[in-house]
Amino acid sequence: MATATTAPHRGSARFVRGRTRPRIRVVHWAFAGPAAALFIVFFAYPLGASLYQSFTNDDGGTQTWAGLAQYRRMLHDPVFWKSLYNTGLLLIFQVPLMIGIALVLACVLNQSWLRFKGTWRIAFFLPSVTMLVAYAVVFRVLLKTDGGMVNQALGWFGVSPVDWLNNPVWARVSLIGTITWRWTGYNAVILLAGLQSIHREQYEAAAIDGAGAVTTFRKIVVPQLRPVILFCSITSTIGTLQLFDENFVLTKGGPDNATMTPVLYLYKVGFDQMDFSYASAIAWAVVLIIGVLSVIQFRFFGQSENTARDARKVSSGRRRR
Amino acid sequence: MSMRTSRRSVLRAGIGALAVAVTGGCATGGGAKKPAKSLNAQAQVTGSITVWSWDVAAKALKRLAPAFEQQHPGVKVNVVDIGYDNAYDKITIGLKSGAGLPDVLQVEGQKMQSYIGTFPSGFYDLSTLAGPLKSQFNAAAWATGTDAGGKVYALPWDIGPCGVFCRTDIFQQAGVDPGSIQTWDDYIAAGVQIKARTGKKLLVVDPTGDSTFPMLLQQEGQGYFVDGKIAVSTPAAVKAMTVMKELNDKGLVDYEKGWDALVSSNKDGNVATAPTAVWWSGTLTDEMPELKGKFSVIPLPAFTSGGVRTSNNGGSLLNISSQSKNSATAWAFIQFVLANSDNQVSMLKNEGIFPAFVPALSDPYITGPQDYYGGQTTFKTFADLAKDIAPVEYTGDYSKASDLVTTATSAVMQGGKDPKSTLDSTAQQIAAATNRQIAQ
Repeated sequence: MATATTAPHRGSARFVRGRTRPRIRVVHWAFAGPAAALFIVFFAYPLGASLYQSFTNDDGGTQTWAGLAQYRRMLHDPVFWKSLYNTGLLLIFQVPLMIGIALVLACVLNQSWLRFKGTWRIAFFLPSVTMLVAYAVVFRVLLKTDGGMVNQALGWFGVSPVDWLNNPVWARVSLIGTITWRWTGYNAVILLAGLQSIHREQYEAAAIDGAGAVTTFRKIVVPQLRPVILFCSITSTIGTLQLFDENFVLTKGGPDNATMTPVLYLYKVGFDQMDFSYASAIAWAVVLIIGVLSVIQFRFFGQSENTARDARKVSSGRRRR
Repeated sequence: MSMRTSRRSVLRAGIGALAVAVTGGCATGGGAKKPAKSLNAQAQVTGSITVWSWDVAAKALKRLAPAFEQQHPGVKVNVVDIGYDNAYDKITIGLKSGAGLPDVLQVEGQKMQSYIGTFPSGFYDLSTLAGPLKSQFNAAAWATGTDAGGKVYALPWDIGPCGVFCRTDIFQQAGVDPGSIQTWDDYIAAGVQIKARTGKKLLVVDPTGDSTFPMLLQQEGQGYFVDGKIAVSTPAAVKAMTVMKELNDKGLVDYEKGWDALVSSNKDGNVATAPTAVWWSGTLTDEMPELKGKFSVIPLPAFTSGGVRTSNNGGSLLNISSQSKNSATAWAFIQFVLANSDNQVSMLKNEGIFPAFVPALSDPYITGPQDYYGGQTTFKTFADLAKDIAPVEYTGDYSKASDLVTTATSAVMQGGKDPKSTLDSTAQQIAAATNRQIAQ
């Protein structure tokens, strides 16, 4: 499908360029120029400047070249390592949990007997576009130790109040819960798009062969969705490594750094401690880690080309219903 | 869908680096140290100025601005309440990027020391004009606006002598007399009894920005640094942290994040006390007028019987950002507001801001009885305590130390860690961040 739509377009472009080359150049730049200028000013330059800054030391308002000193400091920084450890916990527990729930949710949303489909989809997608402030207020009210709604509800079943945000273990549980609440619907919608590209005939064939719902899910849905699941896993992994919003509003990384993540830590180092050089170094360490993890994920699944193409196919796939 | 998603994830990939880069990239620093600009005393007081402040402080400035404008026809003062929770993010970005700051900034004492250390060229040098006023300001407050060489960067506004605000109705219900509390051990014992009889906790602590531990430490006469060395793991520090741990272990602490949550927890009567500075009074009268007559103030409990009964918490200054194009008017306004007994006393009356300007402390309003506190001479108590405040060392590395100590406090109180070993490790982290030695 991809070749079918792009080929004629490519041909016509070559045709036009052959005739009026110089003018098209000007027009190209007129279109690309503003975006390119914005990119250079607000993206490329700051990136370069922060890379330079990560090799400096900020001393009394003066920047001095410090080589790799900031990166060496990171190696011996217990908080940095703890933030990576916390991220690892999230990757092991939260990402599979969320993708699993999203998959089940997507299957339910894809059922032909379901009414008010659009409403359901919007309802599940909404959390991911919720304003941070509203989100913060709601969850702090829900999770308050004394008189919070979650603890009140637990109280009806005789469970004593849980210190959701002030106990290192429960704070992590709360964080996993809130991230899952916010991003499950988002992933479910992507998976749903993937589900809709599976031919109806395959379900029918499976039904004729006597497959039940569980078998169909395991033998038809999961294998067909594999590239989309991988796509969701990779974006969720990157999202986890950049986690900031949720733990910033809930716990600001506490208690005892139990919910500290690398990006929140670099914010604290930069803005609370005013140590911008070290913060820049942490930022680049995170970039490096994300890069390495992404390469590993692609290598591990061994089909980066297919994944990218399949994901694109999913997005442009016609809704078959 | 997926194209949009992937483009967004690429964007997000850069955001972490960007957040720091945007502010860092356009840094004012980079070359040699620029000296701070000096004020031009001859310049005309004219035009408009903008002031950044927050909460009751902003309210006070808004109230006083019209009088200043009347004295100087044609002058306009814009006071902007930037809110406490994001104030320092905004100011830090402005200082780092060299743009976007107003003429006059409110900054708290310890933070002012950090800014002087990190951005010495970010403010006007006020030495020539403010210098002669030194003897009229509280010495501990004055020290927070000057650098090690005695250069003046800011004029002290208020000072925060500490005591304990007690909810008398809750104390009565629990059968505890606030006046009987002499030491921190007494305080904890009172808390246990209050909790047993009323179910109320004793105090609010914000684990993400605690101010109780530094208050205890200064009560013992030291800050995070002593003679330039890191002093967060000294015996005094361990002692203070042990009090914090005990408060938690006895279940006396209500943890709240952020200023608003802290205020509403007190307003709702979740806790029986607030061990904090005199400026808390402004929040009480402003936000809890319905609780009039239900508070009394005692000096801070001592560490040992007969010991120092106060400390300092906060206290702000006003400075002139070097980005100001109208420093003469800015200075005139600062002087009008701060170096003036009538205006200082009016700010205590209306907004509960306690003057660092010493002549104001002999005003009858301060020495007389207070209506809100059921006729007690509350402000006289604080004025007397203010003389006992031990001046402590902040240094330009205060922000680094403060953030790490906050984390240590959370580790001890919420993570159940041992005070001594936690503070030892904190001292090492501060050493790695500042290249300073650790005091023995």
